[in-house]
Amino acid sequence: MLKVKYGVAGDPSIEMGVDVCLMVRDVSKRFGDRVAVDGVSFKVHRGEIYGLLGPNGAGKTTLLSMIAGILEPDSGEISIDGLNALDPKTRGRVGYCPQEPIVYDNLTGLENMMFYAGLHGLSGGHVKQRCRELLDQMGLGEYASRKVKTYSGGMKKRLSFAITLIGEPELLLLDEPTTGMDPRIRRSVWESILRLKEEGKTIILATHYMEEADELSDRVAIMDLGKVVAEGSPEDLKNRYGPKAVIDVELSKPATDPEAMIEEVKPYASEGRVMCRNGELRVHVDDPDIVAPKIVSELVRMGVGLKTLKITTPTLEDVFLRLTGRRLIEG
Amino acid sequence: MMWSAIKAFIVKELKLTFRSKASIFWIIAWPAIWLLMTAYVFVPPATGQPMTLKVGVVNYDVGSTSPFNGTTLIQILNESEYKGAKLFQVKVYENETPMLEDIRRGRLDGGFTIPEGFGENIIFGQARLKVYVGARSLQSAQIAESILRGFIQGLNNGISMRKVNETLRYIEIYSEKYMPKNLTIPVAGNRSWLDFMRDWMIGLASPINVSFQDVKPKAFVERSSILGWYTFGAIGMSLLYSGLIIGSTMAVREKEAGTLRRILASPATSTDMLVGKTLSGLITLGIMSAIIVILGVYPCGAKIIWNPMNPAHWLAIILLILVSIMVIGIGMILSLIARTTESASNLSVVLGLMLAFIAGIWFPKSWLPTWMKFLADIFPATWAIDGMRSALVYGATAAELMPTFLKVLAAATISYLIGIIAYKKTLRRYVVA
Repeated sequence: MLKVKYGVAGDPSIEMGVDVCLMVRDVSKRFGDRVAVDGVSFKVHRGEIYGLLGPNGAGKTTLLSMIAGILEPDSGEISIDGLNALDPKTRGRVGYCPQEPIVYDNLTGLENMMFYAGLHGLSGGHVKQRCRELLDQMGLGEYASRKVKTYSGGMKKRLSFAITLIGEPELLLLDEPTTGMDPRIRRSVWESILRLKEEGKTIILATHYMEEADELSDRVAIMDLGKVVAEGSPEDLKNRYGPKAVIDVELSKPATDPEAMIEEVKPYASEGRVMCRNGELRVHVDDPDIVAPKIVSELVRMGVGLKTLKITTPTLEDVFLRLTGRRLIEG
Repeated sequence: MMWSAIKAFIVKELKLTFRSKASIFWIIAWPAIWLLMTAYVFVPPATGQPMTLKVGVVNYDVGSTSPFNGTTLIQILNESEYKGAKLFQVKVYENETPMLEDIRRGRLDGGFTIPEGFGENIIFGQARLKVYVGARSLQSAQIAESILRGFIQGLNNGISMRKVNETLRYIEIYSEKYMPKNLTIPVAGNRSWLDFMRDWMIGLASPINVSFQDVKPKAFVERSSILGWYTFGAIGMSLLYSGLIIGSTMAVREKEAGTLRRILASPATSTDMLVGKTLSGLITLGIMSAIIVILGVYPCGAKIIWNPMNPAHWLAIILLILVSIMVIGIGMILSLIARTTESASNLSVVLGLMLAFIAGIWFPKSWLPTWMKFLADIFPATWAIDGMRSALVYGATAAELMPTFLKVLAAATISYLIGIIAYKKTLRRYVVA
């Protein structure tokens, strides 16, 4: 049986520099026969936003649950500021925002905040004031005394985000914080996350949106099937694993035989990486100036209508495709 | 343990409980319905008062010239009283057919058919009388026959004594003429012949001169005490299903709401949650019990004794707390098999009501068949509820209550400890799910 070892302050066996807030070393977790997290290791520096990018089922939520002290790893170490992640005192340093906006519908926004404040050991007259401030920050001040069942989905999500901040945590674990949000609210949540980083918080952001990871993260770990397959800053990852360029072709009408179209374009693509989805063709290329006209003529020859053609730089989605052979969001 | 977390759980649980219509129904409406129904249907305000039976009479002895005849009997029926209340309300019929029809339809508690020659025969021989026993209501069905038999017995004795006295009057007249003076009977203590004959004939008519005296404890027969008994029955019943719901849904409710992971990610521990939820459950059950007592005493008229200086009464309150802890513990054990809030609640209600009905909590043990009596004898909740009844309705002392207290304390400790093991196991299962 594997022995789980947690970090202890002052333990010389643990490399814990002053700038390291979280250390995850060789952590594994399995549920029955399924391996959810498989030997994952990484360090998160204080004050950075660390993205965990991967599709649904990659093991991000399980990993966050172990960092939050909800689940115990089968093996490996997790330490926060050199302390055991399962210790209730350590959990006070962590703010966990689950994927779903889980709040009590029959309590008001303020009552929900007060409940979680109590769980963080906060009491006294100033707590209500602190809760109101956080609700104001999230734009929920005027709805504080309304039952949550009257809130919209976006309001619940913001309340959930405010609850995460109630214990003034040093480390924030945000699990898919913008899933299901419309672009405007998503943008406002991003701004809140960046503001928290400016305040010196360390943030781990689990997401399957590559734009989110790209926009917000200082460093990203790409996860697939329970493993970290690559780690680095978004630019670094794109330089290391991405193609030189990407050609996006918007089709005016869907191809009658998409498979045949992909086969025809493949010879021009870098490592044969061509994707077709929702009337769009995406081709990884090494020399766009040379291959773009060839791809266009090939498509014209096949009778495929073109609407627009763009030559862009690669994204983390392209990195993920390169590393796993699959797209982040299949569809 | 973190007090602020425990307090947060208590406040949250109480708010959620008392904002839920379903909870309000089970905590207040359901016991209130049972208690009011009991007070005004099964133990109506006249309970404990002498009952008046509605009887029919068919008199074929009309026109009899005997000093005691059918008409005299009807008059006696009309004038009979017990403890100041009329014993019978008499309806006279022309013939038996409509009277029997009314008895069969439950309109009469019984009926008498007085045959022709009843008056003649009662004076000179043995008269016949037909008595029909019916049932007009649930209450009268149980006692109509005994009242009718008691009445006929009394009537028989009365008529016998009248006949004996009449006969003795003639014996006295004729013994003056035909019997020797100063004749005594040695085997009867040398009593005079006339005294001996008087005692002998009275003994023939009524060998035992019985005197009944009503010394029943008021607590067992007064309506207010009966309702006191049922008030604690309502507390026991509500406490069983509510306590089981509180225990069985302790973890699953948070799991289904999705809040469990967030709670476990906070500095609060699963023990804080257990303690907070148990305490909020005890407060809820305490409020529920207080409401039931108020309903029992005021609209229903139950008699419940409360004297803050009486240690037995405080022991009864501790019994209430212990039985609540015990039932919450059993609920936590149920959470091992009931894996959704709905199934846990349904199972708790069914089990709670069933136990209340078959374990002597709602129905008196004396009404139950043998196997249910056995269940009532070994079920700790029944011990606790009976203990509360004995102290707060029948006035038992603290010393009398102590054995019950010790037994319930042991049962509560064991079931809550097993419940904690089940709760921890359930939490582990939900966290990895």
